[in-house]
Amino acid sequence: MNNRKNTEAERLTFWEKMYIPEIARGLGITLRQMFKPKDFVRQYPEQRWEPTGSFRGRPVLVEEDGGERCVACGLCARVCPALAIEVQAGETPREKERYPEKFEINMLRCIFCSYCEEVCPEEAIVMSKDYEIVYTSPQEAILGKDELLVPKAKLQDRLEFLRQYK
Amino acid sequence: MPQFEFDGQLIETKPGKTIIEAAYDNGLSVPHFCWHPELPVAGNCRMCLVQVGMPAKDREGNFELDENGNKKINFIPKLQIACASPVQDGMVVKSVSDEAIEAQEAVMEFLLINHPLDCPICDEAGECKLQEYSFKHSKGQSRFDEEKNHKRKRQLWGPNVVFDAERCISCSRCIRFAKEVAKQDVLTFVQRGDHVTIELFDGTTFDSPYSMNVIDICPVGALTSPDFRFEARVWELSSNESISHFDGTGTNVYLGVRNNEILRITPRNNMYVNKYWIRDDARLSYDFVNKNRVTQPLINNNGTLEEANWEDAVSFAASKLDNFRGDQIVFVASSKATNEDNYIFNKFANEISKTQNVIYFTHTDETRIDDLLGVSDITPNTKGVEELNIGKESKIKPNDLAEKLKNGEIRAMYVMEEDFEDYPEILEQLKNLSFLAVHSYNMNKKINHYADIVFPASTFAEIEGTFTNLNGRVQHFTPALVTKENYRFMGMKMSRLDKFGADNDRWTNHEIRDSKQSWKIIQKIAKKLGEDWNYTKSSQVFDEISQNNPSFSDMDYKKLDEYQGLVLGKGNNPDAKQVNYISHYLKPQQTQKVVKFKG
Amino acid sequence: MSDLTFTLIEFGIKAAIIINIVLVMASVEVYLERKISAWIQNRVGPNRVGPMGLLQPIADVVKLFMKEDLVPKAAFQGFHRLAPLLTLAVAIGVYAVIPYAHYVNIGERTVYWGIAPNINIGVLFILAMTSIGVYGITLAGWASNSKYSLLGGLRSAAQMISYELSMGLSLLGVILIAGTLSLNEIILFQRDGWYGLRWMVFLQPVGFLIFLVSSFAETNRTPFDLPEAEPELVGGYNTEYSGMKFGMFFLAEYANMATASAFLSLLYFGGWSLPFPEFWDSIGLIEGTWSRALLQFGSFFVKLMIFIVFFIWVRWTVPRFRYDQLMNLGWKVLLPLSIINLFVTASVIIFFGL
Repeated sequence: MNNRKNTEAERLTFWEKMYIPEIARGLGITLRQMFKPKDFVRQYPEQRWEPTGSFRGRPVLVEEDGGERCVACGLCARVCPALAIEVQAGETPREKERYPEKFEINMLRCIFCSYCEEVCPEEAIVMSKDYEIVYTSPQEAILGKDELLVPKAKLQDRLEFLRQYK
Repeated sequence: MPQFEFDGQLIETKPGKTIIEAAYDNGLSVPHFCWHPELPVAGNCRMCLVQVGMPAKDREGNFELDENGNKKINFIPKLQIACASPVQDGMVVKSVSDEAIEAQEAVMEFLLINHPLDCPICDEAGECKLQEYSFKHSKGQSRFDEEKNHKRKRQLWGPNVVFDAERCISCSRCIRFAKEVAKQDVLTFVQRGDHVTIELFDGTTFDSPYSMNVIDICPVGALTSPDFRFEARVWELSSNESISHFDGTGTNVYLGVRNNEILRITPRNNMYVNKYWIRDDARLSYDFVNKNRVTQPLINNNGTLEEANWEDAVSFAASKLDNFRGDQIVFVASSKATNEDNYIFNKFANEISKTQNVIYFTHTDETRIDDLLGVSDITPNTKGVEELNIGKESKIKPNDLAEKLKNGEIRAMYVMEEDFEDYPEILEQLKNLSFLAVHSYNMNKKINHYADIVFPASTFAEIEGTFTNLNGRVQHFTPALVTKENYRFMGMKMSRLDKFGADNDRWTNHEIRDSKQSWKIIQKIAKKLGEDWNYTKSSQVFDEISQNNPSFSDMDYKKLDEYQGLVLGKGNNPDAKQVNYISHYLKPQQTQKVVKFKG
Repeated sequence: MSDLTFTLIEFGIKAAIIINIVLVMASVEVYLERKISAWIQNRVGPNRVGPMGLLQPIADVVKLFMKEDLVPKAAFQGFHRLAPLLTLAVAIGVYAVIPYAHYVNIGERTVYWGIAPNINIGVLFILAMTSIGVYGITLAGWASNSKYSLLGGLRSAAQMISYELSMGLSLLGVILIAGTLSLNEIILFQRDGWYGLRWMVFLQPVGFLIFLVSSFAETNRTPFDLPEAEPELVGGYNTEYSGMKFGMFFLAEYANMATASAFLSLLYFGGWSLPFPEFWDSIGLIEGTWSRALLQFGSFFVKLMIFIVFFIWVRWTVPRFRYDQLMNLGWKVLLPLSIINLFVTASVIIFFGL
């Protein structure tokens, strides 16, 4: 044990090595905590938390002028480390010829890393403030375009945040 | 042999070669857009600007030396294009000097001024030459902050080509291809300056059978295929080397696969077969692999085909085939099947059913003949079947099969990967048979209704094997699609999405078919009949062919891959390896193979 | 009716009451555990189900009942099912010998509080039953056919064996002094002297500490909860259990905690005995009356609860031991210490008498 010089164990005093007084001290600390006021607790369903723009909630698609901004380039699907996104492109007569015929996010796979948002060249997929994400079946957790599209006005905070920090 | 110095490397080349050709022959590259080895030099993209100079000589003809004792080089004051400058002995070329790099970056900046940068929309993204060069040869910044030029999008040039004028960088590869290779001179530049665009001559369409090759050679996404347009991102596809199943030329192809479906076929270089090209009909001939497949063995139960498991199907077929020997039974081999399948089929007929009656049918389309890649044969392996001596000793000839069927001389038939769609007179007489076994790809073939048993045969995209093209070139290919049979070892060849998808993911809901390679089906039946056949891989069958058949001697899969195919009878004397120029390619699955040119 | 019938009815009623008390105690402990842990961590704790969240344990049990009961394919089915039953049965069985109060006289009968509090091998019975408890856990670990479960089960076995030694040796001091293995007689010894305060904790302080530490280890409570160490072993021996099977382990753990608390208060803090017994006699609450018995039960219950709260309090204060530390403490510290304690006790009794 010669190589164990100056370790934590060696720096302990006799009483600390006796262990029991230290445990008593620890119990004292927790006892004191017990009677402190519990100010930090939020009563969740009644008191909801409104996240700021930097919050990464459920990813959604930006809806602009009645259609999706997304051009189905598939970069989000490529960068997604959890393979949560599936995009199938289609052709439209709009100026941007390409649109997502199918855009599905499997929320059971999603890990909220926001890589999709970061890689998106059109700022079409962003993280929303939606954090109450509950499903009753695995099929329900696969969100299609109808559930993903959110009007741009509702995503102002996040878009603002991205403009500033991305 | 002129010798010249390219970026400090001494290169020997043939007289008359240009700098860019000499560089590619030696595994080096010069950035370029418009140059293509099979097309005439246009020199209009200016991307391949290099510094060219000659060593200075004094009046006596001695080299002038600088203070360090090196040769003094007199460079041409202006940069030269490497694609149009022939090599001279002693020439010095610099493609990575400051001046050359500045010029290349300037060209890139000019090209990107009016290029729309709509890569997220563009189908070419991921295998785009301009995209690649903006990483390699561009500053990544533009000083241009005015409005970009807008041109007409979505112009249909022909049935198979869509042109987006905005994305065009005016390299003129398509114009030269149409004129020189497709021999359909319908394209031309119109307008000038930044308004320049490519148009068809009035009243013409670009409908040559080779028209879709312009999509491959276009360095940007200006030309796209209506067939594949917005179908998938190229990086979602797995790119598998294969041989075209459509005709007898043996065109080398890549199969782009996602979700266990072929989504596109693109040509693969083979200078001895198809060079850089593929016919449009061959390119678009993948539907039979994706759709309407026989996925399970089917047994005919009083007129309806019922799904059966393999064990039952093989026992049924074996018990029936056991009843017919010699002249009662005819085996129909197929020029659509591989050499291996046909060899085992023939062996089964000769050794187990004791018959020489093995025949095959040809399928031709005379309208396809031209002097580039068009041949009348629309099956991939006619030459191979012929070379395996199939049908040579048969008492029944293909021509009198219908007759013999009609008068009941033939009681049973075993048909491998042949559908008789081109021979309605035979189809009609099949009802006279007391037993018919069929290996079939698709459900919608008429022959299935006459069959007592239908085995699901794997198509060329699902198996390993060899085809022999009409010039006698034996070419090896490996599976691209997953079947239950090859699921285990296909893992790493699948596209990323398929590789990592789980059962509960919607995007990997691909159909995994329970089809098998024909020779494996035949071996199962042979085993049932007590034969001791133990081939486990196609390569074992091919090795046996190469031992027994002098035409195939000295061939094996490794060698076939190395030399991109070997000609029959020349197994020990392969054609020289050729320089494999790839203009732009899908990264990272498909890597550029640069072979050093020798001789 | 014969005497035997009376006895059977009496014991039946007692057993029913005691099992109910054990299960209710377990849910009270769960509630306390959640509340105290919350307070220690500056949280509020359960406050949704019922007033102040008092019905939370019931909701928990309902949840456990409703859950799907998953059994791994590769598990040894029979043993996988047996393990939680064994653990719970043993945990509840111990209560047969625990005295809750002294006795009451109903007519001519003397009814003792407890099923068999006067049995002359009470201490031995408890030790024996708690040692069987380890079989349940080891069996669960082995039968689950999972690496985490197996490691948890093995750890549990090793831990139990190591700490049972020092636990038993430290107990011997108490038994030497009291001269009996009957729990009621040990309590009577503690009552009869020093104004009812001749508690063993004053006679055997070192033995008490060793026993306290060992009972933490025996009940798999932090800092000795290595068999189910969540960060390392997922859930230890109960990784592959769900639904009410998991619930049984859960109940057994809390029942064991109550057993340990009861044992500690019986052996070292006088159990049901009331201090100053003469005072209670003088005001008319003599032995055998219901009021005296209820007071005694109150005394026992208060001590029991104090220990339970102490168990919980320690759990949320002290971190888990490392495996080698656990073994060092058991074999190199507690075992020698308990042997020395035994020798000193024995010497004092021989040379000075008691």
